[in-house]
Amino acid sequence: MNFEWTEGHRAFRQKAKDLLAEHLPADWAAQTRYDQGSIYAANFSRKFCPILAREGMLLPHWPREFGGSGMDPFYHWILGEEMAAVGEPRSYQYMYCNWVGPAIMAYGTEAQKQAHLPRMTTGNVIWCQGFSEPSAGSDLAALSTRAERTANGYVINGSKIWTSGASVADFCFLLARTGDKRNSGISVFLLPMDTKGIDVRVIKTFMGATAFHEVFLTDVEVPESARLGEENRGWQIVRHVMYNERIGAPRYMLTLNALDHAVALLKAKNRFGDDMTRMRAGRARGALNAARTLCHQVIGERVKGRPPGPLTNVARYAVVMADRHVAEFIGDYLHEELVTNDDPLIAAAYRRTGSTGFAAGAAEIQLNLISRDLLQLPREG
Amino acid sequence: MDFDLTEDQRALLTAVERLVERHGGAPAGADSYILSGAELERDLEDGGYYDVARGQDADGAVGAALLVEAVARSPRAAEVGASALVAPKLAPTLSLPRPIILAATPLDGAVRFLGSRGTAVIDTGTDVRVLDLSTCRTAAVDTPFAYPFGRFVDLDLKNAPVLADVAPDLMRQWWRVALAAEIGAVAQVALDMTVDYVKARRQFNRPIGSFQAIQHRLSECATMIHGTRILARRAAWTGDGADAAFAAAHAKETAAKVHYDTHQFHGAMGVTLEHPLHFWSYRLKCLQGEMGGYMAHAKEAADAFWP
Repeated sequence: MNFEWTEGHRAFRQKAKDLLAEHLPADWAAQTRYDQGSIYAANFSRKFCPILAREGMLLPHWPREFGGSGMDPFYHWILGEEMAAVGEPRSYQYMYCNWVGPAIMAYGTEAQKQAHLPRMTTGNVIWCQGFSEPSAGSDLAALSTRAERTANGYVINGSKIWTSGASVADFCFLLARTGDKRNSGISVFLLPMDTKGIDVRVIKTFMGATAFHEVFLTDVEVPESARLGEENRGWQIVRHVMYNERIGAPRYMLTLNALDHAVALLKAKNRFGDDMTRMRAGRARGALNAARTLCHQVIGERVKGRPPGPLTNVARYAVVMADRHVAEFIGDYLHEELVTNDDPLIAAAYRRTGSTGFAAGAAEIQLNLISRDLLQLPREG
Repeated sequence: MDFDLTEDQRALLTAVERLVERHGGAPAGADSYILSGAELERDLEDGGYYDVARGQDADGAVGAALLVEAVARSPRAAEVGASALVAPKLAPTLSLPRPIILAATPLDGAVRFLGSRGTAVIDTGTDVRVLDLSTCRTAAVDTPFAYPFGRFVDLDLKNAPVLADVAPDLMRQWWRVALAAEIGAVAQVALDMTVDYVKARRQFNRPIGSFQAIQHRLSECATMIHGTRILARRAAWTGDGADAAFAAAHAKETAAKVHYDTHQFHGAMGVTLEHPLHFWSYRLKCLQGEMGGYMAHAKEAADAFWP
């Protein structure tokens, strides 16, 4: 065992920090309030990601043949940690780095690869993920948005909900039903968001300006060439490319930053003296350390080229528990700062920790998967 | 970062696991609270395993943590944490007579493994002293907590030698790592046993382990145990005081939850001596409070991390 980063990893992290120090605007916190989906952040990502691309820092883990740097998955995770720590200045561009691009590499036609991957490597394209529907959340295979065959391709009708970044996105990685069989009747479409018939409405929430949308699809016509992979094989594609994503983004870094900041604030105001406050802060930091180390262990498995296992779900649930400790700590000990809403980091962490348990899949589903895959307990019912 | 064991660590673990296995698993229908680990300890000592952490390197410390884990998985109550992890870190050049007992003043309570032989390493608050137990009078304590316990009847602490250049904080640090490693392993066995039980135990025409109400709590236990185990190994590796306190805090919170949930899902069977769960669950209950509960360690972690 070795809990130290290599020199290469450390240098890479430092380079990410240096680039952030150099390019993040002075008013970043005030403008974005650490909301990766703010319009400001989305626009900034179109300037910042090309800088990352020029520096070889946008797609460290992508194979060289597709414009990446061919580095091990720890580099990708380190990049994610540093970006998450400051509120994700890549905005929703992290999504194609993580899995949309790799999905196209694995399942795309030569034309699809040519159409999409080079643009990703420039750092100036935003993708959103058209998965959830009003009646298909945790039970995603229940989705009913339908793509009917036409002479030239498909016509898509239906609606998506909770779609992050839809109003700033150029493309959508869309799941639609092309057959009646539950899991074997779903296909993936690479859908330009300016296609006629797409109507995007922002859902106002506590979570951020463009965090959630409804996307209505009315007679949206797409050519057959917009379909990724074989017809009705979408579920298998998504399962494959998303398995690594079950761990989620390293969102604990914003939480960790916020907790350290909260402690600094409390100290400055002489409110960190009593044992109970310190105990609660220590408990939250310990839970974060556990979650972060477990995530590193998951990435370590990826580095070794092993298939994803139930440790992914364990790590993800540990992140949920840790974020909850931090949210409760902030709620209990920084009440004034929270209510006055004038500290962007405290406000953002509190807001974000409120969605950790359901973003990227409900925490209870993680517990189901741990029960099934790690503990090998029998299915309910 | 590399989360795989080194070749040496794997070899060590295999050897210790074999040795532990030779001393047998949990006997069916035991009628005592404790299974003695004295013979296992003797074999560990003869094999030189307690010296794994000598040499002060990080690999050795992780090796010692692995040794603690492997021994803790046995139903036998063997003294391992103090001898393998704490003493070598405090007194790398001294060979203190075993078993080694860890205690802190005031010495008026029950102390784990305390008997008439070996060495007590004592945190007096201002220094760390070593006490030859053959010079003290001790009395056995009758407790259901799966370890042998004793208390001091008569001792001369004032004249006990001080460990030079060893701050009490350093002793507490490695004591915490040892506790966290032990809790991680003991909790894992209690969980594994419970998982087996809820798969076999049927009610309402189905295994009770098919109920989500049970699955989710056991999955939470599994998550906390994974966290505890990795934090303990990490604290052994880094040799950092805050890391040790974070590991201990997380471990003790885990111990409390795992003790409660594993007993809950065993029902009345779990509180019989006939069922072996108690060899691990009552050790958890005991380790949960040694050196203070999770709140004490979380506070210490905060003090060390945000001085």
